[in-house]
Amino acid sequence: MGPISFVKEYWRILLLVGFVSGALLALFIPGGIMADDSLVEDESVDDNPTNLEYGLGLDGGTRISAPVIGMTAEDIDAGAVDDEDGTVDRERLTEIENTLYDELDLDTGNASVSVDDDGNVHAEVFTHEVTEEEFAAALAEADVEVDPDDIRDGVSAQTRDQIVETIQSQINAAGLSGGDAYESARLGGDYYIVTEVPDMDPDELRELLSERGVVEVRAYHPDGNGSHTNETVLEGEDIVQVDPPEPAERGTGYSVPVQVDSNAAPHFQERMNELGFTSEGIGQCSLRGDGETINFDHADTDEQYCLLTVVDGEVVDAHSMGDLADGMSAGTWANDPSFVMGAQSQQQAQTLSVNLQAGALPAPLDFGQEQTLSLSPALADQFKLYSLIIGTLSVLTVSGMVFLRYRDVRVAAPMVVTAMAEVLILLGFAALIRMPLDLSHVAGFIAVVGTGVDDLIIIADEVMDDGEVNSQKVFESRFRKAFWIIGAAAATTIIAMSPLAVLSLGDLRGFAIITILGVLIGVLITRPAYGDILQRLLTDK
Amino acid sequence: MGYFDVPEINYTRYSNRQLAAVPLAVLAVALLVLTGSFLVTGTPVQLGMDFAGGSELTVQTTSSEDEIANAFDEEPESVQAVTAPDTENQYIVQFTSTDLSALSEQAETNLEQDGDNDIVQLESTVSESFGAQTQQTALLGIAAAFLGMSVLAFLLFRTFVPSIAIVVSAFSDIVIPLAFMAVAGISLSLGTVAALLMLIGYSVDSDILLNNHILRRQGDFYESTTRAMETGVTMTVTSMSAMLVMGVTAWLFGVELLASIGIILFVGLAADLMNTYMLNLSLLRWYKFHGVRS
Repeated sequence: MGPISFVKEYWRILLLVGFVSGALLALFIPGGIMADDSLVEDESVDDNPTNLEYGLGLDGGTRISAPVIGMTAEDIDAGAVDDEDGTVDRERLTEIENTLYDELDLDTGNASVSVDDDGNVHAEVFTHEVTEEEFAAALAEADVEVDPDDIRDGVSAQTRDQIVETIQSQINAAGLSGGDAYESARLGGDYYIVTEVPDMDPDELRELLSERGVVEVRAYHPDGNGSHTNETVLEGEDIVQVDPPEPAERGTGYSVPVQVDSNAAPHFQERMNELGFTSEGIGQCSLRGDGETINFDHADTDEQYCLLTVVDGEVVDAHSMGDLADGMSAGTWANDPSFVMGAQSQQQAQTLSVNLQAGALPAPLDFGQEQTLSLSPALADQFKLYSLIIGTLSVLTVSGMVFLRYRDVRVAAPMVVTAMAEVLILLGFAALIRMPLDLSHVAGFIAVVGTGVDDLIIIADEVMDDGEVNSQKVFESRFRKAFWIIGAAAATTIIAMSPLAVLSLGDLRGFAIITILGVLIGVLITRPAYGDILQRLLTDK
Repeated sequence: MGYFDVPEINYTRYSNRQLAAVPLAVLAVALLVLTGSFLVTGTPVQLGMDFAGGSELTVQTTSSEDEIANAFDEEPESVQAVTAPDTENQYIVQFTSTDLSALSEQAETNLEQDGDNDIVQLESTVSESFGAQTQQTALLGIAAAFLGMSVLAFLLFRTFVPSIAIVVSAFSDIVIPLAFMAVAGISLSLGTVAALLMLIGYSVDSDILLNNHILRRQGDFYESTTRAMETGVTMTVTSMSAMLVMGVTAWLFGVELLASIGIILFVGLAADLMNTYMLNLSLLRWYKFHGVRS
């Protein structure tokens, strides 16, 4: 037999062998076939003998999903975008934003007016405390007419992207490898922000997520009428580079050296000079803290010039202007705008540094509507073991039933082997695309064995129908008949499962995807091969 | 040891009416159960945490089950011990409250630690509104799957009676396990929804097989039926045994998702045996002997 006729004769089996070897390679070659380790943190230290990736349910960790608090007036007629050339009037946007802050009495960071890529202007407020009517009225103050009914719950796509990015950099900056954040669409246009980290309990993660991380520097100074006032002189976004925190050079506490953005630096310098921080205010700050917040009790006659570090509205540190005063009053500081932000403890300094690096969360998350899952690594290991046991037992049961029914090892053994090959190919595929496996996928694997064996039974019964299979022709025609049923059954399973694969029903997505893939692999690769094997064995060719 | 053979049933002894009466009666009872439960509780089936909201903790502790029940300010919905190899003193505790941090704090202060293990091994919560949305999504999913399956059945056979027979028995295959859940107190979770959808796929398998043998093959009606049954019953019984094993072991191990999928599929497949070989068969026999000519 020549090589070509050999391939022609055995192509179904060869295809199966090819796929199984491919799966084995994908599973066991270190690094995997697509050795793209740039995506994965250093996991070579893992004691994982295969290339399979495990999801939260089999590896431990915490996942919190929560929607974003806020409402949006979409595509408002702000008169800020030129219809002709698409240029954007930034000042007009800031004007609307400031009107929103004033009218609605919002905290810093709780209003946003932005332009998306298509040139549509969206106004958003990020709080529960404002109604649609109030929001519309505030916009009207800024000469933007919006019907309260057109204001929807939720925030814009841009804001969600920013939130996801910020959370990602927050978990990276906090030194948590393997964490991830993404958005998940729900029915009815709602979106949830999903955060997953391997080594944190839900309380810690919720704390990380509930801190907006809005950093400001405020100048606290005498207002000239016998009392004190403060004004924001620097915001988190004005800070471009952050160095690791270090113990303060003078006194107690810690400092975070930063670089101020060159566009913001001159204004900051000017305000410092105007307010007297660089002249009479030098060294004039005696406010002290208790390690957490700052005590503002002092006599009004006792003039204070303090730079306050404010995180999410909480004053965490106060200190006076020091060495930088000379450069500022001379006007040269802005050429090399390095600045030091203070913190009382190392913990605070660390948080401050993370917040500055990651930026502020554009909008808060609504933990009243959260969904949380947290699993200890020990229990996750148990689940891995259980999945293996449950899977093995199910396969053994199926094999046992098949042997009892056919009493013929020639029919039953290839059946079991083929069904296993199907699972192996699926596992290889999961390793190849680095699909993180969870319990739902395990259920999918077992379902695949179930449907797989069903179809093999159909093939076996059909082929062995009415006595001996004595010719190729008889076999082919019977096999084709069997295949019509299998194809129809596969099509229904795929149709029944596809809503689950598309809808965001959490755990079930993995189950549906594995089942659909398994059915496809079965119909296209393993089941035809089983037919071939059975034919060889029965016709004694 | 006993081999597994598919029994041959002498269908000529029963009229179509007699054959169809049993599955239709069971379906009617199932619908009655669901309606009753709907009238009493507001939902046809008790909703689990995924849909109604609530919290769940898996705790590792040497405290007894009673002590666990009393350790929380809110009385737990249920406390279930996990029985698995290498695992002792593990319990799954469910609550209706969604204040997860309070619950895990109470667990950590009021329960005895077991060696160096963390007391709280798993904590999970679903808020009510999240659950309500999931519920809608799941309903939509089931409806879409069912509709898709029905359309496909009609496309495959292109005649009314055999196609509607598939649709009716798939419907009954879903309704009977639902009623079973209502009676047995199994609550509807994502896992059970997956099982119900899976049932659509599985149940149609044996129906297609039967229809195919009777309508598209030559030969006597009863001969075709016997052949289809040999294959079909083997398939269904094999799947049933795999699902029973999976359901029971997963339930012992406390792996809820796999347990609910296994048990529901087992019940549904049992219902499918009855529906396929009594309801579907009687419709096909009527169609074959009376329906075609009229």
